[in-house]
Amino acid sequence: MTIWDILLQQIINGVSLGAMYALLALGFTMVYGIIELINFAHFNVFMVGSFVGLWVLQAMGIVGQGHPLYGLALIGVLLTALVVTMLITGVIGVAIERIALRPMRNVPGTAAMITTIGVSYILFNFILLGAGADSKNYANPLPSVHWEIGEAVLRLREVLVWAVAFGLMLGLNFFVRRTKMGKAMQATAQDQEAASMMGVDVDRVVVIAFFLGSALAGAAGLIFGLYYNYTSFIIGYTAGLRAFTAAVLGGIGNIPGAMLGGILIGLIESLGGQFLAVRWTDVIIFSILVLVLVFRPAGILGRAAPSRS
Amino acid sequence: MVAASLDRPRRTLAAWRERVRTPAGRRIALAAITAAAFAFPLIDRNDGDVDAAANALAFAILALGLNIVVGFAGLLDLGYAAFFAIGAYTYGILASYQVQPEWSSFWEPLQWLGLVARLPGAGGPDHVHFTVSFWLMLPVSALVAAFFGILFGAPTLRLKGDYLAIVTLGFGEIVPIVARNTPSLTNGAAGLNGVAPPNLFGYAFGVESLPYYYLGLTLLVFLIFVSVRLRDSRIGRAWMAIREDEIAAEAMGINRSRLKLLAFAVGAAFAGMTGTFYVAKLQTATPEMFSFPVSVMVLVMVVLGGMGSVAGVVLGALILQLLQSWFLQDLSQWIHALGRGTGIAFLEQIELVQSIELIFGIILVVMMLYRREGLVPAQRTVTVLSHAEQTAVPARGGISGEFALAARRSVDPATPLLEVKGLRKAYGGIKALQDLDMVVMPGSIVAVIGPNGSGKTTLFNLITGMVRPDAGTVRLAGEDITALAPHLIVERGIARTFQNLRLFANMTVTDNVLVGTHARTATGLLGAVIRSPRVRREEEAARKRAAGVLAIFGNRLLPRVAHLARTLSYANRRRLEIARALVSQPALLLLDEPTAGMNPTETLELTDQIRSLRERGITILLIEHKLNVVNEIADTVIVLDHGEKIAEGRPEEVHRNEEVLRAYLGRTAARAAP
Repeated sequence: MTIWDILLQQIINGVSLGAMYALLALGFTMVYGIIELINFAHFNVFMVGSFVGLWVLQAMGIVGQGHPLYGLALIGVLLTALVVTMLITGVIGVAIERIALRPMRNVPGTAAMITTIGVSYILFNFILLGAGADSKNYANPLPSVHWEIGEAVLRLREVLVWAVAFGLMLGLNFFVRRTKMGKAMQATAQDQEAASMMGVDVDRVVVIAFFLGSALAGAAGLIFGLYYNYTSFIIGYTAGLRAFTAAVLGGIGNIPGAMLGGILIGLIESLGGQFLAVRWTDVIIFSILVLVLVFRPAGILGRAAPSRS
Repeated sequence: MVAASLDRPRRTLAAWRERVRTPAGRRIALAAITAAAFAFPLIDRNDGDVDAAANALAFAILALGLNIVVGFAGLLDLGYAAFFAIGAYTYGILASYQVQPEWSSFWEPLQWLGLVARLPGAGGPDHVHFTVSFWLMLPVSALVAAFFGILFGAPTLRLKGDYLAIVTLGFGEIVPIVARNTPSLTNGAAGLNGVAPPNLFGYAFGVESLPYYYLGLTLLVFLIFVSVRLRDSRIGRAWMAIREDEIAAEAMGINRSRLKLLAFAVGAAFAGMTGTFYVAKLQTATPEMFSFPVSVMVLVMVVLGGMGSVAGVVLGALILQLLQSWFLQDLSQWIHALGRGTGIAFLEQIELVQSIELIFGIILVVMMLYRREGLVPAQRTVTVLSHAEQTAVPARGGISGEFALAARRSVDPATPLLEVKGLRKAYGGIKALQDLDMVVMPGSIVAVIGPNGSGKTTLFNLITGMVRPDAGTVRLAGEDITALAPHLIVERGIARTFQNLRLFANMTVTDNVLVGTHARTATGLLGAVIRSPRVRREEEAARKRAAGVLAIFGNRLLPRVAHLARTLSYANRRRLEIARALVSQPALLLLDEPTAGMNPTETLELTDQIRSLRERGITILLIEHKLNVVNEIADTVIVLDHGEKIAEGRPEEVHRNEEVLRAYLGRTAARAAP
């Protein structure tokens, strides 16, 4: 393999990881944009999504990776898994908002953030206690189709990841920019009070942001399982921290920024892992977070900047 | 009948509680708890129990440290275990066989000091064995951890508090990774081994738990003392002011970057010390001992006990630790037995020990939803006021009685106290202030009036350094103070109030005013802990001055000095803001709509009081919408409209000014007026 093949391969890997981080980052960014809250529960909504996806696939009779499906059957199974997973995690997100976070909405200080940590811990331990600590072999109906570009390999699963992620992101972008609810969401992010005076139901906007963000996290969880062929109760922490970095890197509160940040973090992870050292990946990504916060707190695309308090 | 019988024990409990709350009662209770803590290992001779108790003490210290960051200063630190790790490894590396450089003459003076020993090499060169004393390392680890606290906190200072949470989370993740990835220093994932136990006057601590228990208890008592001293000091009040309202804290002379870093450093120092203690006790250190769940556990302790409450967090830590090591196993057994007895299979499967993190999560959520102040709230509720105390008699005639308000700088009556030249500020396309010139002479009252959005509050923000001007200068008695940091401007003698009230809501009236003395006092971290005679005198003087300033408003604020600011009426909040600004001994006082929300009697009362302030040498610049107030007290009126000065002069002149009438009443009215 030449250096170029390796580079191409790592870019393919990086964009795939990045697409997943981007989906996850969108949830952080939407919630932060609207109620200025870092939602730590999001870490483990993603993890739960990965398990829900596994259970849905298993319920449809998929076991392990030995029995690939083709054609319409494949699309049908994947689409069903995706939709059901997203609905379930979306509902979990809404439940979290309604039960734990709405009473905290106007409480100043760190109370709401601490609550999200508690919720995150509860989700984490539910899965740990319910499903066990061992990592789970994922149910994967994807055939091992791949294409060779030079010596780099592009697998079907990567194409799938890209298609799902970009499809969802385009859908979200359409929703936020073109629909009435999306515009209400933008207005609420700018000025909650003014939006509510203009007749926007802020509570509803927040609920929808949680639903969409959590549904996207569920999709990211399913993608994680299909991509790596395993899932485990611990995956939320690392992925969540990276996705949050992606959101900050792109400009928190900024939806295209989260997508861009996600792809960049994915590339940094794969290229950094290849050319530096895997065991330092977290240190590298985290250093990026700190450097962005210090030198460009508004992120690459800026706009909804983390304000000085 | 039933109600009465239920009522009785409650009433005796309340009476008992009252008795404990007297100073003498508290002292007795404290002495009893301390005695019990010292006697505990003599009563319970089971080494396992003592060991668990010693560990619980270590976590109580961690909770105390985190309480300084989260509870006092309001900064959420999710990577607190990082500092615990740093303290542990600092001692672990310098008191074990892990690092053994080759022997050279460089090490000889250190050997003489007892910091290293010479290891004869088997056939090869001799090596160095670090043997630094535990007692030396306790403070050194604290300092090393404090240094890292400043290092980790610095990147987030300019940002909103939430970012601190995520950055500390990241650092909390990185420190164990670094420990794992640098095996030459830390022995990687396998962990440091053979860390030397402490040695006190020839008594080696060894592996038994008893001496560690007493050492931990001593450290805990010491750090409780430090926490309490800090809480009740200038430093502690500044931390709480930052927690309550950063902008108001800055406007009262607090250097918020510095104090936030200080909170971070002190919290880290507590953890560093605990790390050293803990690693000496276990004689080993692995990266897993300091991972994210440890940080969360300490946070749960603080939340459970009560953020900001010293007694609370210690209690929270002890409850959670002892719950884990003493009770959960038994509790599980009981639940299993219950399951067997009732035939409910589900109960037989519950393993509480493994569910501890689930319990932590539930504690966090439930406490936040239902009892945010924790088991032992930091602020106690205050007794009700008597009828006489509640009724205030409106007083005319301004301020009587004496209180020292002497401004710090001597003012030359001939030079302008405040001189603003060409001041300009635009927000996007909106020109909030355009090339404003104005002068305030010493001893005068200048009123700024103008329609909403005419730039009045922007002017105040520019003068006090809260907003940077695009162009222009601000001079105070000839000195250029343009765009200085707000706390430096307070030091130079300008204090302000806010139009939309920025009090420190969860601090008492007295403490709110005491925060105002921050710029005029000097007590530092060590001073606050040691409380030397000089510090005592300073604190006493500050309290006296605060009481004097509160007395300005008669019995409006005085009966309420122990109340939380958020419980005050609107008018009293305005008065408290003025008191808080006055106590910083300003030469120039900026009042932003001081009479807003006051009824006519209260307005008259305050008008007189403002006039008295001027008589006592304070120059006043005021924004006011009530023109009768302006007419009554202002020497000069400046009228702003769309960021421009459209008129200036004595009140009656300004009233006749056509442009002013147009700005206020519209064009036709201006034509009809004369």
